[in-house]
Amino acid sequence: MITLTRRSLLAGMGAAATLPLGRAAFAQGRLTITSYGGTWEKAQREIYAPVFRQKTGWDVDVQLGSPSQWLSQIEANASAPPIHVSVMPVELALAGNAKGLFEKISVEKVPNLADVPKPFVDLVEGSGVCANYGAAVLGYHRERVKSPPKSFKELVERVAKGELRAALPGIGWAFTPTMLLWPLAEVFGGSVDNVTPGFEAVKRMKPNTVFWNSVTEFPQLLQTGEADIGMWYDGRIWDAYDAGAKWLAPLNPEEGAAMIPVAVVKVKNTPDIGWKYVDAMLDPDAQLKFAKLINYAVTNAKVVYPPELKERFTPWEKTKLPPFGKIAAVIPEWVNRWNREIR
Amino acid sequence: MPARATRRLLAWAPVLPALLFLAAVFFAALIDNGLRSLAPPSGAPWYDYYRQLATDPFYLQALAETVALAAATTLVCLLIGYPVAYYLVRHARSGRALILFLLISPLLTSIIMRTFGWRAIFARRGLMNATLQGLGLIERPLDVLNSAASALIGMVHVLVPFMVLSIAAVLEKIDPRVEEAAEVLGASTPQIFARITFPLSLDGVASGAILTFMLAMGSFVTLLFLGGGTLQTFPLLIYQQFNTTRDFGMAAAMSNLLMLLALALLFAQLRLIRRQGVL
Repeated sequence: MITLTRRSLLAGMGAAATLPLGRAAFAQGRLTITSYGGTWEKAQREIYAPVFRQKTGWDVDVQLGSPSQWLSQIEANASAPPIHVSVMPVELALAGNAKGLFEKISVEKVPNLADVPKPFVDLVEGSGVCANYGAAVLGYHRERVKSPPKSFKELVERVAKGELRAALPGIGWAFTPTMLLWPLAEVFGGSVDNVTPGFEAVKRMKPNTVFWNSVTEFPQLLQTGEADIGMWYDGRIWDAYDAGAKWLAPLNPEEGAAMIPVAVVKVKNTPDIGWKYVDAMLDPDAQLKFAKLINYAVTNAKVVYPPELKERFTPWEKTKLPPFGKIAAVIPEWVNRWNREIR
Repeated sequence: MPARATRRLLAWAPVLPALLFLAAVFFAALIDNGLRSLAPPSGAPWYDYYRQLATDPFYLQALAETVALAAATTLVCLLIGYPVAYYLVRHARSGRALILFLLISPLLTSIIMRTFGWRAIFARRGLMNATLQGLGLIERPLDVLNSAASALIGMVHVLVPFMVLSIAAVLEKIDPRVEEAAEVLGASTPQIFARITFPLSLDGVASGAILTFMLAMGSFVTLLFLGGGTLQTFPLLIYQQFNTTRDFGMAAAMSNLLMLLALALLFAQLRLIRRQGVL
């Protein structure tokens, strides 16, 4: 039988209290960053955070969630934000930038920025940088689709005829306007200012289309026969392939898939050391490890991919760069229209 | 302070932590929500969000679909749940623990897992279509997934345990001797059920219906993954306002309207039930 005395209890409580202190004693501070879940979180914890820790002695707290939620948290407490460095889609980075929530980036603050092509900085209007990117390509079931469509136009025709069943992003997925509506509008002669051709294309495909509203749904839809082909991110297609979905294959349509970059921003009113984390996310060695883990292309031009990895990535020159700022301004109107016309 | 007032304050003391918690995380958020919904973009009148919700046929239809789906879910839960609850209380002896376990076990599983399970069953190459095709009953796979029917089935699966447990708790309290007395006096089994058991169990039916209806009104995950956009309900539209358009004012107005509607329907149900002498 264990007898608890006041002395032993106090000693135990004292020892327990020193446990967290012991860890903190070695760290000079803590930086809060954000991450998507799954392997993205693994990349932050096991690839970028160690580079940052080694250079600064600071520890990293990784906050999971959704980009919309992170932006709201920063906005709600802009004078003392709970997040110091955040990854987020370009649309939201621009929305935060418009509200003055992020700091301007420069080579002086982030030395590795010198090796990142300018478009990846311009995309976020200089208030951050795109660290990696995927492309919203077509993914198809190799065994059921022997002759996949080569272009978006062919996809629309064949799905409309009922020759193929498609799995496309629905309006519950926040990036559908950028990855689906805008490219289809462009392909059929429209633009951001005239998205009607994009809506018309979706309407034509609708009878033979199932819409996914969570990014993880896509492979299940193909596996269970709900669809034969659809739109998904190239990196995720290769991830699924490596995980055993050998029947899944990516295809960059002739017109070029929309590039979907992931931006990293440093939040205003947070410690300057946050720039070191942004720099760690652009470090060529760390980026190569990231590319191998996630199957997303990275933006530091110094990174040399091994051949088997290089052939997986859609070169950014062969993608279409969405006008994120213009699209962000019309998203409410497009969502409203989708609700009424496509549902 | 007079002793009576002190005693009154002390009587409130046990619920004070709960009230403080509610004030911090519920009422404060509710007030914030209310203020946001009354602050549309500059130039628009303060009530603009509510004007849109009250006059735009799209939103009115979404509201009607929200209520209709919740009502249909409640009705199906009652039709399935009552016989189960009755059997559980009146007939299941050795199997009672097993039935209770089977009822509660879905609640222990993540709703995402359950929903994805239904997707695997309803898919074109899923269990249901494969079985029907294997039996030669259908030639082409049925498109069940991403329809109002699959959403309703998913909702009933999630909510039927609440109905069963509410009814079973009340059935348990009905003295079996009342039913025996009716039998001795010559009443048939259907008569006993219709004139004794069911009226006495209305308490449970009422609380089960209210609970199920309220949960169904706010349901989101099941509709998102099984409805496939065929149903436009307010919780889905609220999520869209937060996640895609980031129009927090409109989302706040929608959530306030949904809450008011739920409270109004709850009030109406309670009045109806009390008129019947239940609760």
